[in-house]
Amino acid sequence: MNPTALYRVSGTVALIILFLIPLASSEMGGLGSLVLSSYFMHLAITAFFYAILASSWSLLAGYAGQFSFGHMAFMAIGGYTSGLIGKFIRFTTAPSELCTDVPLLGNWWLVILNIRRVGTIDESCLDMAKAETLPAGTLIVFPPVWASIAMGLVMGAVFGLLVGWLVLRLRSTYLALFTIGFSEILRAAISAEIPITEGQSGLELVPLFPGGIAGFTSTSKIPPYYAMLLLFIFAMALMTWLAGSRFGLFIRAIREDEEAAAALGVNIVRYKVLVFVITSTLAAAAGALQGHYIGIITPNTLIILQMSLVIAMAVIGGLENIYTASVGAIIITFLLELLRTSVSIGPIHIDMTLWRLVFFGILLMLTLRFQRNGLLFPILERISRGGVAAETVSIRAQSDEELDEELEELSEEDEELPEEASEPASGTDTSAS
Amino acid sequence: MENAAIFGWALLWILFWGALGGVVTPRIYARKDLEISQASFGGAVIGAALGPLSLVPLWIATPKITSRLIGIAIAIVVGIFIVAFALADPDNLCVANGGFVISQLANGIVIGVIYGLMALGLTLIFSILGVVSFAHGEFYMIGGMVTYFMTAEWIPGVSPIVAILASCIVTFAIGYVFERIFLRPMGSGEIERPTEYAILVTFGLAFFLQYFTQALTSAVPVKAQRFFPFPRLELPAESGAFLRMTPGNVTIFDAISVPNPRFTAAVLALLMLAALLWFLYRTWVGKALRAVSQDRQAAAVTGINPDSMNTLAFSMGAMLAGLSGASLVQVFSWLPQVGIPAAARSFVIIVLGGMGSLPGAFLGGLIVGLVEAAGTGCIPDATRAAAYIPAYGMVILTLVLLLKPTGLFGREL
Repeated sequence: MNPTALYRVSGTVALIILFLIPLASSEMGGLGSLVLSSYFMHLAITAFFYAILASSWSLLAGYAGQFSFGHMAFMAIGGYTSGLIGKFIRFTTAPSELCTDVPLLGNWWLVILNIRRVGTIDESCLDMAKAETLPAGTLIVFPPVWASIAMGLVMGAVFGLLVGWLVLRLRSTYLALFTIGFSEILRAAISAEIPITEGQSGLELVPLFPGGIAGFTSTSKIPPYYAMLLLFIFAMALMTWLAGSRFGLFIRAIREDEEAAAALGVNIVRYKVLVFVITSTLAAAAGALQGHYIGIITPNTLIILQMSLVIAMAVIGGLENIYTASVGAIIITFLLELLRTSVSIGPIHIDMTLWRLVFFGILLMLTLRFQRNGLLFPILERISRGGVAAETVSIRAQSDEELDEELEELSEEDEELPEEASEPASGTDTSAS
Repeated sequence: MENAAIFGWALLWILFWGALGGVVTPRIYARKDLEISQASFGGAVIGAALGPLSLVPLWIATPKITSRLIGIAIAIVVGIFIVAFALADPDNLCVANGGFVISQLANGIVIGVIYGLMALGLTLIFSILGVVSFAHGEFYMIGGMVTYFMTAEWIPGVSPIVAILASCIVTFAIGYVFERIFLRPMGSGEIERPTEYAILVTFGLAFFLQYFTQALTSAVPVKAQRFFPFPRLELPAESGAFLRMTPGNVTIFDAISVPNPRFTAAVLALLMLAALLWFLYRTWVGKALRAVSQDRQAAAVTGINPDSMNTLAFSMGAMLAGLSGASLVQVFSWLPQVGIPAAARSFVIIVLGGMGSLPGAFLGGLIVGLVEAAGTGCIPDATRAAAYIPAYGMVILTLVLLLKPTGLFGREL
C-alpha cells in the first residue's frame, strides 16, 4: 500500500473511532461490556486540549524553529479573556446608571460591571440597579459563550502580534528568553490583581453550554468532548494545510537558514510573526474552550511546569511533525494519569505525582539527545516507508555505480586532471551514505 | 498618588517624543547619507529627553550620535521621570524621606551585585558555548538548597563556608556531567541545528532538576540562618552613632540600613567576583577561556582544546549560579520553584548588558537591582509592588529589545 493511502485510511479510522467513543461512555449506557467512565471522558477532553497545544507548539518550534516558552501564557490569555467577559459584561435594554454604560444599537446597552474592591463583598452594581434604577421588565443578557471565546481568540492574536513584532526581529534565542519572562509576569499580574481575576482562588467561567444542548445537561461530558474534538480536528486541518502550502515551505526554509531564506526573497520577519500569531491564537482557542469546560481557570495553568509538559509531549512524540506531536500529547496525558498512584516499597514512600515528572524530564532530555525526531516518528516511518527505504537504497546504489563508471570514463579521457574527477566521486559517496 | 495626572502626562510626553524621534531620525540621517546604526536609538532617547527642543536641533544639525550624547539624554530622561514622580506623589516615602531613599539605593546595589554574579555565569556560558542555559535558575536553586540542608539538616553547626563550598562542588559537578553528555556532541556536528537543540535540552534539564529537587525535599519553603551575624557595635559609643551594628542589621549615619544577610551575601559575591576576575585575567586557563570566546579556531591553533574549555565554562557558569543561590538562601525563603524568576532576571541582565559581555552582565545586575529596589520602595500599594517584582525587569527587557537589542556592551547581532 502506498504511504499516503495508508495515512488516509488510518487517519479516517482514527477519526471514526474518536467520534464513536462517546457512545461507549457511561452516560450513553456503554457499548456492550465496554463502559467508559466520565473520568475517562474527562481525560480524553484534556488529551485533546494538550494535543492542540503540543501540535501548535510543534508547528512553531519544529517547523519554523522559533522556541516560545509562552505558549501556556497565550492559552491563559484566551481563557481569562473569555472568563472576564463573562464576569464583567452584560447586555441590557435600559441604562443601569450605576455601572459603566455604553450605548449600543437600538435599545441595547453594554454594561460593564464595577470591579470589586479588595476586602469587601460588594453587591454587584447591576443587582443594585435592578432594585433601584432599572425599569421593570428590562432584559439582562449574558454575553454568549461563543462570542466571549471569540474575543479570547482575538486577544490571543493581538498579544501574539505584539510579542512577535517585538522579539521576532531578533534571533530565536531572544524569543525563548522573552517568553519565559512574559509568562512569569502574566502569572504575577493575574495572581496580584485579585479584584479583577480573583487571583489564586481562580476565575469562574460559565459552562460551555449553559443551558445544556441536544438533551444533554450542562455538566455532561459529551458536548464538551465533541467541541474539543472539533477544535482539535479544525486545528490539525488548518496546520496540515499551512504546513503543505508555500507558507509551510517558507517557515521551514527560515528554520534551516534564516539568511539564505531572506536572500531568496522570503520576508522572514513577516512569516515568523505570522506563524507565531497563528499558533498563539490556536493556544488561546484551546485555553478558552478548556476554561469553559473545567469551569475555573487559575494562574497555575501558566506555571513553567505546564509549559514543560507541553514541550515534553511535543518532543517525545516528535517535534517536527504535528501529527506525532499530537499523538504524543494524547499518550502522555493518559500516561501521566496512569503514573499517578504513589507506591510504597517497605518504609520508602514514593510520591509518584512528582517522580513521574522527573521521569518525563529525563525522557525529554534523552529523546532530544538520541532520538531527535521523537519516539513515535521512527515507528511511523517503519510502517509507512519500509519498502520505500529499500527502494531508495537500491536506486542510489545503482546511480552511484553509473556515476562511478561515468567518472572512470571521464578520468580515462582526461588523464591530465585525474584529481578533479576523483573529488566529486568522493562527494557522492558521502551524500549517498 | 495625589496628582497621578502629572505623572501620566509626563510619561505620555516622553513616550510620544521618544517614538517620534525613534521613527523620524533614521529617515533624516539616511536622507543626508549619514550613519544610521545609532540613529533610531539615539533619536528616541534624545526625543524623550527634551522633546521638540532637542529634536529640532538634532534634525537640523544632524551631529554624529555619540555614546556621550546618548548618555546625557538618558540621564535627562531619568531626571524628568523622577521629578514627575516627586511632583505627582509628594507624600511618598521615597520622595519625602531621604534616609529611606538612600537605604533603598544601598539595598538595590547590594542585591544587584549578587544578580550580577549570577548573570556573569550565564554570560560566561554564552560567550564560550554560544548557548543560553535555560537551567541557570535551577543551578541557583540547587546552590541554595545544598547550603540550607548542609547547615540546617545534615550537619547542623557546620561552618557556612563549608556549606557554600559544597554547593559549589555540587553545581559544578552537575554542570560538568550535563555538558559532557548533552552539549559536547554539538561541537562535533553530530547534532543538527545546535542552537535549537541547546535551548530545548537545557530547558529539559531545568524541568528535570526542579522536580527532582522537589521530589527529594518537599514544597515547604526553607530559609537558612544568618551565616555571619554582626557583632554588637556602636561607633562612637553614644547616641547619633556613625556606625551601629546589631546581629541582624548595620546602620550608617542613622540613615542607611542594610540587613545582615544581604550585606554578607554581597561581600561573598564581591570576593567571588574578585577571584573570578583574577582567574580569567591572571591564570593560563582563564586566558585560554577568553581566547576561545574571542576566536575558537585561532585558540585551537595555539594549542587550547576548545571542547574542554566548553566543559569548564559551562560548569563554572553553573557554579556561579549555585554560589549566588548559596549566598541568597539566608535572604529569601527557598522553594524548588525559586529558580524561575531568578533565571528570568538573569536573562534580562545579560540582554541589557549585551550577550556575552562580562562587564555588561555586572553593570546590568546593578541596574536591575536598583530598578527593583526603586520599584518595590516607591510604588504606593506595597503588596502590589512586591507581587510585580519580576515585572520591573521585564519592562527593562522590553525597552532594551525595542531600542537597542545589542545591549550596553553587545557585539553585533
